[in-house]
Amino acid sequence: MNQEKRIIAGVYHVSRGLGKHFSLEDINLQVANGEFVFLVGPSGAGKSTLLKLMYMDDFPDKGQVVVGQFVSTRMKRKSIPDLRRKIGIIFQDFRLLEDRTVFENVALAMKVTGAGMPEIKKQITDILTRVGLYHKRYDYPPALSGGEQQRVAIARAVANRPAILFADEPTGNLDPVATKNILELLFKINAGGTAVLMATHDIELVRSFGQRIIYLEEGRVALDKEMIFVGDIRDRIGGSSVSESASRLSEYDITGGEEE
Amino acid sequence: MKPGELRYIWHESTGMLWRRKVPNLISVIIMALSLLILITFLAVTLNIASLIEKTSEELRVYVYLDDGVSGELSRDIQIRLMSEQGVDEVAYISKEEALEDFRETLGENSELLNAVEQNPLPDSYRIRMKQEYIRSGVLEAMAGRVGQWEGVEEVVYGRKWFERGEKLVRSFYMIDLVLGLIVFLSVVFVISNTVRLTILGSSRTIEILKLVGATNTYIQIPFILEGALQGVVSSLLAIGMLAIIHRFTLQYLPGVAFIRVDAIAVFVVLCAVIGALGSMAALRRFLKM
Ligand SMILES: Nc1ncnc2c1ncn2[C@@H]1O[C@H](COP(=O)(O)OP(=O)(O)O)[C@@H](O)[C@H]1O
Ligand SMILES: [Mg+2]
Repeated sequence: MNQEKRIIAGVYHVSRGLGKHFSLEDINLQVANGEFVFLVGPSGAGKSTLLKLMYMDDFPDKGQVVVGQFVSTRMKRKSIPDLRRKIGIIFQDFRLLEDRTVFENVALAMKVTGAGMPEIKKQITDILTRVGLYHKRYDYPPALSGGEQQRVAIARAVANRPAILFADEPTGNLDPVATKNILELLFKINAGGTAVLMATHDIELVRSFGQRIIYLEEGRVALDKEMIFVGDIRDRIGGSSVSESASRLSEYDITGGEEE
Repeated sequence: MKPGELRYIWHESTGMLWRRKVPNLISVIIMALSLLILITFLAVTLNIASLIEKTSEELRVYVYLDDGVSGELSRDIQIRLMSEQGVDEVAYISKEEALEDFRETLGENSELLNAVEQNPLPDSYRIRMKQEYIRSGVLEAMAGRVGQWEGVEEVVYGRKWFERGEKLVRSFYMIDLVLGLIVFLSVVFVISNTVRLTILGSSRTIEILKLVGATNTYIQIPFILEGALQGVVSSLLAIGMLAIIHRFTLQYLPGVAFIRVDAIAVFVVLCAVIGALGSMAALRRFLKM
């Protein structure tokens, strides 16, 4: 991917407190178009919270989030649907409407934009074929396996050809085989030009892929590096204390570089 | 909003009604039952009100003349009575007619009257009042005035009974109004809560719709239509049930009236509005608008 690097999502000095015991502190990160980024960290590190800020289901206390032309500090409620149509989001629990067919679930994302039915039919036929579920288009989600349901969710998320796909633990409910298939599908989608930001707590899962990894720990970015792991990530950042991790950050020269 | 979007909203609405037929049906039944209480109450009130009106319409004021009043003075009194405010009709009843009426009233005991040699009854005028003047204040004032006239012996209209009845009617309306208000508010409460619960039941659907970028309008309209439709169907159902109850009641209380058609129309529209507003209020919180 040698085309001009364009930042399509950025988080700048973002802090967000939740409850009494948790806060994201001064988060900085950027995702360029066509990039694939793993957002890794133990459960409770703040991955979901950070993604929520990025698809603007929540807003920072400090700092700002920029996705496409949408800026969190200048965001109006009315523009949120507009943002959602230009990004894709998937979750661990799929979030499909169980009383609608696979086709209807995917079509929903296009219907809300007011797209014409011929266009919807053509596009969905194409996407469902790509995710390998065209033959199950009239099935209802409960009749599908977890992996298949996640494929439907992915098909819905990319129906409007988004520039970026946010994935919050998309393989969290899946067996190893389905997990591998979903990851492959995400890579395939990424190869088509869609940036992917995938959160997962499963370090083992991502260590072998050589994608960029952002390691989140106790609400802070402890590591942000494009790397192939030789050992365990915890060896790399030297234990789990944040201050220690932070001291290693400069050593690896991570986040600051791309900021203007 | 694009025209395509409008079509999908319509599909969304009809689709939702079909998919949620069971919870909708349950809501409609709950709403219909509480509405039945309200309209039964209304029907009872209306029937009692018309009974009260009919009863008071039958009131007559009797003006008894002095014995041996000349024809000229009697006619003079009649003319003056006619020009009294609120008088609708004045009928002359000669002492002979009065005796005949009395005989009829007594029925088989009328032989008693044979013992009386001379007709003891006076000539009189029987007055029918206009409906809106049948009030104790008006009647009392008129009776006082007319009683002073030359040639008039007495004015009689059953004052004690009338006043008692009037008081009873007034307290009936008072209690009725309070009760009606309570029933009405309860029904509004039940309906908006029922609608709210059906919306809570689709919180997941709403969340997913928001996730894929549906506008608030797109999300809201199906629910508002659903609320309105629930209002219409449940009110019609309530009216149907009342019709059955009415049929049944007629066997025991002939002449009991049903609710008028225009009142039914107003009722159905009102229920549709309450249903729609209930949906809107519930969604308002949900969509953080
Ligand atoms: N709405 C909330 N109110 C209070 N605390 C919250 C809320 N949402 C999340 N948290 C807390 O924030 C922390 C981070 O949560 P989350 O972002 O879901 O972590 P992750 O996705 O990395 O597992 C957790 O400790 C969680 O309990
Ligand atoms: Mg999470």
